[in-house]
Formats: sequence, C-alpha cells, structure tokens
Amino acid sequence: MTVSESDHQRRPAHHDPILQIRNTSVTFDMDRGESRVLDDVELDIQRNEILGIVGESGSGKSMLASALLDAVVDPGVAYGDITYRPTDGEPVDVLDLDKQGLKELRWETISMVFQGAMSSFNPVRKIRTHFVETLDAHDYDIDEGMERAEGILEDLYLEPDRVLDSYPHELSGGMKQRALIALSLVLEPEVLVMDEPTAALDLLMQRSIISLIREIKAEYDLTIVFITHDLPLVADIADRIGVLYAFEFVELGPTDEILEDAAHPYTRLLLKSTPNLEAPIETMQPVEGSAPDPVNVPSGCSFHPRCPLADDQCRHEDPRAYEVNANHPVHCHHWSTAREEISMTDDYDVSSVLQSTAVDTRAQSEEIDPVVSLEDVEVHFETEQSFFDMFSDSDVVEAVNGVSVDIYEKDVVVLVGESGCGKTTLGKTAVGLQEPTGGSVQFRGHDIWDVQTGTDTGIEWGEIRRSLQIVHQDPGSALNPHRRVKTSLEAPLKRWNKDLDGNDRTQRVLSLLEHVGMTPPNDYIERYPHQLSGGEQQRVALIRAMLMNPDLIMADEPVSALDVSLRVEMMDLMIQLQDTFDTSYLFVSHDLSNARYIAEKTGGRIGVVYLGQLVEIGTPEQIIHNPQHPYTKALCWATPELGVEKNTEEAPIRTIDIPDPTDPPSGCRYHTRCPNAREICRTQSPESFDVPDETAHDAACFRVDDDHDYWTSKSITRAEETVFDD
Amino acid sequence: MTHDESSDSIEPDGGAISSPFEVVSEYEETRSERYRKLYDAYVYAPLSIILRDWRARIGLTIVLGFLALGIIGPLVVEPTRVTEGPALVGPFENWEYVLGTDAQGRDLFAQVVHSTDTILKMVTSGALFTVIIGTTIGSIAGYKSDTPIDTALSSITDVFINLPGFPLVMVLGLLLEDHILGNPYAVGVLLSIAAWGGLARAIRSQMLTLRQESFVEASQAMGLSTPTIVFKEILPHLMPYVVINLTSAGRRVIFEAVALYYLGILPFEKLNWGTMLQLAYQARAHARPGALHWFLVPMVAIVLISIGLTLLGQSLDRVFNPRVRARHEKTTADIDESGETDEEPTNEPMGGI
Repeated sequence: MTVSESDHQRRPAHHDPILQIRNTSVTFDMDRGESRVLDDVELDIQRNEILGIVGESGSGKSMLASALLDAVVDPGVAYGDITYRPTDGEPVDVLDLDKQGLKELRWETISMVFQGAMSSFNPVRKIRTHFVETLDAHDYDIDEGMERAEGILEDLYLEPDRVLDSYPHELSGGMKQRALIALSLVLEPEVLVMDEPTAALDLLMQRSIISLIREIKAEYDLTIVFITHDLPLVADIADRIGVLYAFEFVELGPTDEILEDAAHPYTRLLLKSTPNLEAPIETMQPVEGSAPDPVNVPSGCSFHPRCPLADDQCRHEDPRAYEVNANHPVHCHHWSTAREEISMTDDYDVSSVLQSTAVDTRAQSEEIDPVVSLEDVEVHFETEQSFFDMFSDSDVVEAVNGVSVDIYEKDVVVLVGESGCGKTTLGKTAVGLQEPTGGSVQFRGHDIWDVQTGTDTGIEWGEIRRSLQIVHQDPGSALNPHRRVKTSLEAPLKRWNKDLDGNDRTQRVLSLLEHVGMTPPNDYIERYPHQLSGGEQQRVALIRAMLMNPDLIMADEPVSALDVSLRVEMMDLMIQLQDTFDTSYLFVSHDLSNARYIAEKTGGRIGVVYLGQLVEIGTPEQIIHNPQHPYTKALCWATPELGVEKNTEEAPIRTIDIPDPTDPPSGCRYHTRCPNAREICRTQSPESFDVPDETAHDAACFRVDDDHDYWTSKSITRAEETVFDD
Repeated sequence: MTHDESSDSIEPDGGAISSPFEVVSEYEETRSERYRKLYDAYVYAPLSIILRDWRARIGLTIVLGFLALGIIGPLVVEPTRVTEGPALVGPFENWEYVLGTDAQGRDLFAQVVHSTDTILKMVTSGALFTVIIGTTIGSIAGYKSDTPIDTALSSITDVFINLPGFPLVMVLGLLLEDHILGNPYAVGVLLSIAAWGGLARAIRSQMLTLRQESFVEASQAMGLSTPTIVFKEILPHLMPYVVINLTSAGRRVIFEAVALYYLGILPFEKLNWGTMLQLAYQARAHARPGALHWFLVPMVAIVLISIGLTLLGQSLDRVFNPRVRARHEKTTADIDESGETDEEPTNEPMGGI
C-alpha cells in the first residue's frame, strides 16, 4: 500500500484530552455469569481530533459510546472514571453526575448520532418538531436555536425549510442521516459520538457524509468519535484509530501507523481480511475463528486462540500496553515480531488451488448455451392509488428495465449497484421468484413463465424450481427460527429425493455440515437457528440451497450481514462449494470490493446496475481498471480504500441523491448525475456498446463509441450543479 | 482454512468423493434414540417449561382436576335422584352431601360431577372448531392475499364476523333441537358457529407480514407445497396466539352454554351447570339465604374452570418459543449459551396483537 499525505492535515498528537477514560468497564449480570462487555478500557480523546474506533460486531464498541454519555442501558453497569475536561472550569466525572448534571452533559456537551436514522425520528412528527423538542427539553431559546438549526442544515447541503417541514418518510436515507447530524449539533456540543452513522447508507452517500463530517468538524470546532466496523471507511478521516477486540483496545495509534505498520496481530489480520479494490486478492486471508463470548473471554491475551503468534505467555498473561512509540500503545507481547511474522503482502500459498480451477474466463463460453438467459427483462410495480386518483395514471416503479444478460454453466455474475436500483429484483427475476412484466427469462432455452403456466411443456416446472435457488442477505430470517437445522436441511431432500430414508437424509446433512466446517456435525444438527452464529446460519442457508443440487444460485448480499473478518472466509467457502456442486452464481452486492473479490477469484463478471438498467458489464479487471460508464467510475471512486491517497480527486458525480424511481429521467437515466452529460443524453437512451479491444465488456454509454453524435452535442453540466463535497 | 481441512476429512483414503451427494449412509438412528428425542421435544420440554411458571402450574392443576372430574368422576360418583337426601342441606354440613343438596334433595356435588363431562365435551368441540376453522381460513387467505382465493375467503369471514352470533345460535338451537339433544359435541360446534371470524381476520393480518420473510421465499424457491409452507413453516410462528385463542374460545363456549341453558333456550336431558342455575332461579334461591349455595356451586365451578383455562393459555405461549424450548430440551440445552431469562417476550410478530 502506498502512503501519501492527504489533503487535510493529520493533526499531530498533542496533549489536551477532552475526555479521559480510565479503567472503565461495563458489565451485565446474566444468569450464566457476569458478562463484561467493556473491559478495563483506557483512552484519551484529544480535543478537536477525529478518533476512529474500529471493531467487529460484539466487540464492545457501542458500549463504549453509551458509556461516554453514561447511558448504558439497564441492567448494565458502567464503572471506572470518565473525566470530561472543559476548556474552562473543573473536570467533571461523567459517571458520577446526578440527573440534572447528566441532562446538561448529554446533548449539550457530548451528543450522539445513532446508527439507523430511520428509527431515530418519530415517523408521525415533522423534523421541525424534533428540533423544537430537543431545544425545549434542554431549556434553550427556541427561536435562536431554530435559527442555528437552519444554519447547520444549510451547512449540510440541505434546504432547511423543506427538510424541517417534512415528515421523516419524505426524506431519503441520506437526508435523514444528515438531518440527524444537524439535530445532534443543535445544542452546540463539544464532542460528537457517531455510532456507525453510515452503516445503512449507500456507497456514494456514505462517501459524501464522510467528507461532510470533516467539514462540520472544522466549522463547529468539534471532537468526533467515529465508531464503525468498517476499517477502510475511517481510514480517510480519522486522525487516530483505536482497534477494539473482545471488549478492550488492542491497539491505538495515528491512522497512518495503524494502516501501514500495525503492530497488533489482530489489526494486521483484519487489514488483510478486508477486501478492497487495489490489493491482489491472494493477499486477502480470513481471520480464523470467531470473536469470544462476553462471559467467557479467554484468559491471558483475549486474541490468543485466533493468533498465529500465540505462545504460552499469551495464554497466561494479559498483555499490558507496550509502547511502539509515545502515541501508539499496543497490547501484544509480540508486537515487535508481529510486523515481520504477519506480512501484509506476500501470502501466495494456500488458496492457489481454489482459484486455478475456475480462472478460465468466460470468453470461450459464448458458444455454449446459457443456463439462464434474460432477454430485455422488465419488472414494473404499480404503486397503489387512492380512490380519488381514479382518473390519473397510477405511478409505476420501473424496478428493472430492459436488462439482457446470459449466465452460463459454472459462471459467476456479480450485480453491483446502490440500494433501490433494482438489483435484487433483477436477481429474483433471474431465478423465477419474481414474474417479469416484460421480456423473457429462459432456463436452458425454455421460457420459465411459459413452463409455469403450462404453455411450454418441454421441461417440468419442478425441474426449473429445483435448479434455481436463492440465498438471502440476512441469515437470521432466511432460516425458520422454529425449525432445527436438521428439519430445515431435510426439507429439500424430502421434497426432491423421495427415495432416501430418514437415516440417509440425516447422513447427507451431517456430511455437508462437516463439509462446510461445522464440526462436530452431530452437535449442530439438533440446534435451532438462534443457537448458531451469523456465519454458521449463513452456511446452513447455503447448504440448504446446495442440497437442491441447483444450476444457479442467486445470492443476495450473502456476506453483508457478517463481520468483516468472516466475509472473506464465507466467500471462499461459496467459491469452493461452486467447484464441488458445479453451480453458477448470481451475486448481488452493493460493495464493489466484495464483488471484485468474488468475480476475480472465479473468473466471473461484474455487472453494474443503475435505476433498473445494466449500465456496464465486464471482467473485474475491466470494470475496476478501465471503467467505461461514468457511473462505474463513481462507484470505484466511492469505494473506501485502505490507502491514504486518492481522495484528492473531485467527485465524479454531480448530485448524490438518486432520482425518484417512479419518475426516472428521460434519455440516459444517469444524465442527471453524470459529469460528462451532454444534450443528447437527455433525449436518447444509449444502447449497450461493445467496448473496443476488449472481450466480454459492454457499457451503455455514448462515450464508448468514438464517432457517436454525442461528441458534437452540447454539455449540460454547469458549474453550479456540482456536488457539495470535496 | 477450516473448510479445506473438513473437505479432506470426509474423503475416505481410497478414491476421492467428488460430491457430498454420493456419501453412503453410515448414520443409523436407533428406535430408542428416536423415541428419546420425540419424548424430549414433545413431552419433557413443554412440561418443564410450563412447570417453571406459577400461572401455568395453577392453570394446569385446575384443568387437570376438571378433566379427572369429568372422566373418572362419573364412574365413582353415582348419579343423584330426587329425594336422595333432605332438601337444601348446606354445603360442608353433611359429609354425604359435601356441597349440599337442592330443594328436591338432589346432591349438588353429584350434579356438578355429572355435568362436567358434558361441559368438557362442548368446550373441546367448540374450541377446536373455532380455532381450526379460523386458523385455516385466515392463514390461507393471508398467504394467498390479492388472489381470488383470498377475496372469497375474506368475504366469507366478513359475513361471519357481522352475523349477530348469539341470536343466530338461539334460532339454530331451536331449529336443530333433535340433533343437539344429548350430543354435547354438536352443541359446542353450534355455539361456535359464528365465533371464528375474528380469529381468521387476525391470523390473516399476521400472515401478511410473515409471508414476506426470507425463509418463506426460500421455501417457495425449494418448491415446497403451499400447505407445507403455510402449516409447517409459517403457522408455528402464530401458535402462541392460536393457543390463547383456543383457551378463550373454550371459556366462551362455557359462558354461552350456561347462558343458553339458563335462559332455557337449549334443550337438555341431563342436568348441567346452566340448568342448575335455571332451576335455582326458578326456585327463587337468590332470595332465600338457606338456598344460596344452590347458585354458588355451579358458579364457582364455572369461574374456576375459566380461570384455569386462562392461566394455562397465557403460559402456553412460551412453549412455542424456540429460544425457551431449546433451553429446556436435553438434546439442545447444553449448547444453548444465550443468557436470556424465560421472561423475555415471545416471538416478534405477536407484538401487534
């Protein structure tokens, strides 16, 4: 990875802590013992810094946020010292404050932006009410406060009047999140704690909110604590990064040092397991094992069961804070050797077997018949009309519009796009779970909906149903919580392999469980889904689809619900199962780096979806290193990278918000956001062009064609239309 | 990597197995093992869940008591007849007539015992009828929403919701006198004829949300049949609600039966709680302090069984919560590491009702 100084000055560490956290723990009393969800944490938060806190889910990072506001929910108890040091006046111990003191501290001094703006606003009240109530509850002058609120909203590139008079559902996710940031700033706090503020947002929106945070920090003189599970995300903005593992900090240091030269094995492994666009995929390795249970944290160093460097000392002795340098403590006995032992670049050993089999590109498969072939597929949803609208046309959401794509035997196609762009609908249409309103979906030459209605009798509907399977995004709801692993997994066998008796079925389920690494399988087979971890649930869901022996599996964001350190492992498993079962995959993902990992490892293709249209398709190489469509370029730009450079470029996009899908723009649907849009894009919709000199790479943009009328058309981009960020 | 090792481990040392589908069965579940698991899942776990809760312990005791009274009682206690004992003996005065006698010298305890089985039969048939019809129609309508099937089923449901239930039952009771005389099962069904509409409606609306869940879509993708999806995959999520309705339907049958017998609208052969009340009323027992127990005995019986059913119904919902179940089953209990207590709310979709 390369280093270069970024555009904003990374603040040298100085000693003026605004919050000092000493020996702070949070415990929950549970039936089976005391659960320590924050373990003896020490941390100084410096005035006016952006501190990134990174940890997997269940590492205690949200607890830390709650403890800062002394807002740990019952029956949790926080103890230790959290000292707030105002610029003038006496230091205050946050955990000792009385009710009135807490009220003054929360929101007025330290405020918080929660995860999921959707649920932070009351859906039946206008945004203005939320601001007024906040001001009122803290006895602030309301007129003055609202004036300030309008100013903040403007700084966040929102129209104050429009936003304040809206109900929450009338705002997009990104606008809501910005409004929430404004709400947390209205009482002029000094510290802003943000708990996964962008987790529910799209890539492009995430990117712009991140840059906004930098702006408001300067403008309002804030100290920001940014909590996330996504290391690359904070890499851009944080001055320092703290890594939480098993309820304590394992490492804390300046961003550059953490990214380039981390000293703790966990940080190094985490960095390696994070898929990104630049690093060769061979270097991406999963972190083995899973995070410990809060009641039963391993003795000694809590990371030792997963650590390749662990020795006797690690098993018995809890590592104290060793100092890499004055600003960089690390809790590892072997920090000095970790950097050499766990190399960040050369690791070409294990997985070469996995990929070599599949890396013949699809170029030659053109002659073979596709398994599933979509031709000009359209899926339009009509929105409901009220009685009084009976004379007007109903609104139609064009979820999928004119998409054609072929999927071959043992093929992998990854669909990438923002949420609401229709990629999931397209995926479900491809596996026959959504009936298209136009065009055709063919399975081995038979239109599947003709087969279903009985007009095409060349193939059985059951055969199609068996061959096209789905793996859902959230493994928690993909498995029936009332059914044991065994019952869930036997269902497909009972339906499709009637000649098997109970013992054969069980045997098959057992061997598959073992095959995906859930050992001992006898232990797992009687469990209910809630007794499995997220990764295990996803494996069971995957096996269930595999037991049908399908020809195509549509995997709807199969790893986005998993912890970062488990994603690579899960994707490797899926690739390995593809080899065993000879299936094709249609992946759906919003994350370009995951898409690249899968597609590059299997020799598949990436398809970029925008507002129901497939705007570009090609090999990962082509999509990432030679993107043709401006939207693909924007997606590549927005994908967070572990490096520190890159953000100096201007955003290759004009507006952040996606147009209303019920009223898509005319002509090229991307022209409203495209930095290269010209007059012709407004009126004509571009066909899919073959990219010259490249096989299997198509893009739906006039710019691909060198002598198109586009080049003589007038530009419609104006200076004042450029986006708000960077 | 973990899965590399495991893929090796299932390969026998001879030829490599290319697909896990070719695995031969070496797993043999013995009969006793299977019975043990069935016992664990269907007897041991529910009982141990129920018995942890005082409401359930009381409810279960009361209901089992009435069951014993209805099944064993008639074999042990002889039916009473007129002038068996002195008239209007007070309760607990004479051990031969523990609960006293009525104005014609009939033993009230024997009357209670011999009417319990009738009442229990009515309750069983009425409650099962309500719940089975309501759940079936509601869940199919909900699963097939926006289809003609849903329109038809919902319209039928609406008709039954809007029927004035009690007057209808009164009229039908008079019309079908021959069929229901001496047939408590028929009385139970008759009393519930218009009672399932509300349940069907509620189940349908729950179904509308549940059918959006991913596991339902996965089942559809597997090509499972609609009855399997509706009744095996989705319905278990509604069981807590269904069970509460089952017990309250039972209570409603008792109340309606008693009321109709009291009013003298339903024909009867044998004495039961309702007719006991009617006879007491006609004998102006409410105005005679010495005859008050004639009223009280059937009333206490009614209140007691009603309380028993309510308590049992309330606590049974936890039996259907997989998290609670898993903690109580021997097969799975040791791996369950979640620390929640039994008092957590049952499954989410029930929150609305």
